[in-house]
Amino acid sequence: MVIVKRKQLSLAERVYLPEIVRGLSITFRKMFVPRSTRQYPEEPLPTTPVTRGQPRLVVKDDGNIACVSCGLCEAACPAYAITIDGGETDRPIEREPLRFDIDMLRCILCGFCEEACPKDAIFMSDELELADYSRKALVYDMAKLKRPRRDLARRIQYVDEINDRWKTSSST
Amino acid sequence: MNGLVVSLVKAVVILGGLLTTAGLMSLAERKVSAWMQYRIGPNRVGPFGLLQPLADGIKFIFKEEVVPNGANRLLFRFAPAMAALPAMLTIAVIPFAGEIVLFGKSYGKLSIADIDVGILYLLAIGSMGIYGIILGGWASNSKYSLLGGLRASAQMISYELTLILSILAVIVLAGSLDLRRIVEVQANVTQWHVWRQPLAFVLFVIATFAETNRHPFDFAESEPELVGGFHTEYSALKFGLFFLGEYAAMTVMACLTTTLFLGGPSIPFFPDAPWVLGFLAFLAKTSCFLFLFLWVRWTLPRFRFDQLMRLGWKALLPLALLNLVLTGVLVSW
Repeated sequence: MVIVKRKQLSLAERVYLPEIVRGLSITFRKMFVPRSTRQYPEEPLPTTPVTRGQPRLVVKDDGNIACVSCGLCEAACPAYAITIDGGETDRPIEREPLRFDIDMLRCILCGFCEEACPKDAIFMSDELELADYSRKALVYDMAKLKRPRRDLARRIQYVDEINDRWKTSSST
Repeated sequence: MNGLVVSLVKAVVILGGLLTTAGLMSLAERKVSAWMQYRIGPNRVGPFGLLQPLADGIKFIFKEEVVPNGANRLLFRFAPAMAALPAMLTIAVIPFAGEIVLFGKSYGKLSIADIDVGILYLLAIGSMGIYGIILGGWASNSKYSLLGGLRASAQMISYELTLILSILAVIVLAGSLDLRRIVEVQANVTQWHVWRQPLAFVLFVIATFAETNRHPFDFAESEPELVGGFHTEYSALKFGLFFLGEYAAMTVMACLTTTLFLGGPSIPFFPDAPWVLGFLAFLAKTSCFLFLFLWVRWTLPRFRFDQLMRLGWKALLPLALLNLVLTGVLVSW
C-alpha cells in the first residue's frame, strides 16, 4: 500500500490568488528573455570547412573540370548515387566524362567520392538545401554540379591540409 | 434622419472595431504564448505578422465544410452563429467615450444604444452565448462535443451567479442599471469601483474567465480530455465563427470590466479631458484586461471539473453574497 503524504497548505496557498500572482510574475519576466530562435532562410546555419554538404565538381580557372572519368568515385560511392559515362577529349588529359550524374536523393553526403578522387575534381561543398518538385529534378547532371573554384576554396584548402598531414606522417 | 445616420456610423465603427479586435486577439494569443515560451511567434505575414488574422480568415473560407453523419443539420449550422452573435449584440450598450464633439457639433455619446437598463440587457443577451456552445455540442452527434457542451453550460450557469452578484454590488453603489450613469459616478480616480469594491472586482474578473470559457476554466474545449470539446466536429468558417465569438466575448467582457470598475473613459487626475483622450484611455484599460486573459491562459494549468464547481459554489458565491450584504448595509447606513 502506498501512503501519499499531502502537503498541508497554508491559507495563502489555499486562497490561490497569491500563488497565481507569483506564477504570473514568472511568465511575465520570461517574455523579455532574449530569444535564441534562428530565422532560418534569412539567417542560414553557419558552415565550417568541416561541413560536408553536397558533392560538387570544381571548375578550374581554365573553365574545365579535372575529372578524367576514372570511375573511382562511382566505385567508392556506398549509395550508388554516381553515374559516369566516359569519353575522349583532345585535351592533354585525354579522357573526360560525357555524363556525370549524382542522384542527390541517394547521396548520403559521406564524402567518399572526395576521398577517392585522384584528380581533386570533386569536393564536398557547404550547400545543404535540397528541395524540388520532382525526383527527376534532383538527379544533378554536370551543369548543376559545376562550381567555380573560389566557391569551394575553403574546403579545398582544408582537404589539402589533411592530405599534407597524411603525407608527412607516412614519409617519416 | 440625421440621427439615424449618426447611429449607423457609430454602429459600423464600433462593430468593425470589435471584429478587428477579435481578429487581432487571435494573433496576440499566439504572440503572447510564444513570448512566454521563449519563442517569437507568427512573423511571416505582414510586418510583425500583423496580417496573420487575415490569412487565417482566408484559410477558414477555403477549407472544406464537414457535417458529420447523424448531425442535426439545422442546429449544427445555427450554433456557430448563435455563439458569435451575443458578443456583437452586447457591445451596443458599452459607453466607450463621453460626448462626441466634432467641428463644434455634438453627436451624442460614443455608444450604439442608450438603454436605461443597459447592464440588464448586456447580461440577458450575454447569457445566450451558451446556446451556441450547447447546441453545437448536441447537434454534432459526438460524445466529446456533447460532454464539452454540457460542461460549459453547467459552468456558465454556476459562474453567472457570482458574476451578477458582484455586478449587483456595483449597481448598489452607483444606484443605477444604466452603464452611462455607472461611468458618471466614477469620474474621479478615487471614485473608481476597484477601490470601493475590491472583492467584487476580484470575483468579477474570475467569473469573467469562466463566463468566456477561458483558461483556467476552459472546460468546454479541454483538449486533452475532450479532443476539442463542443467544436470538435466543426471545420472551416463554422469553426472560425466559434473562434471569433470567443474572442469577441472576451473583448466585450474586458470592456465591461473597464466600464464597471475602472471608470470607463475617465482619465486619472484629468477629469475634463476631451472625448478622444477618454476613448483612448478606455482602449488602454481594455487592452490591459485583454492581455490579462492571455497572460493567465499561458500561466495557469486547467482546473479539474469538480474543483471548478467547488470553487464556484463554495467559495466565490458565498463571498459574492457576503460582499453584496456588506455593501447594502454600508450604503443604507
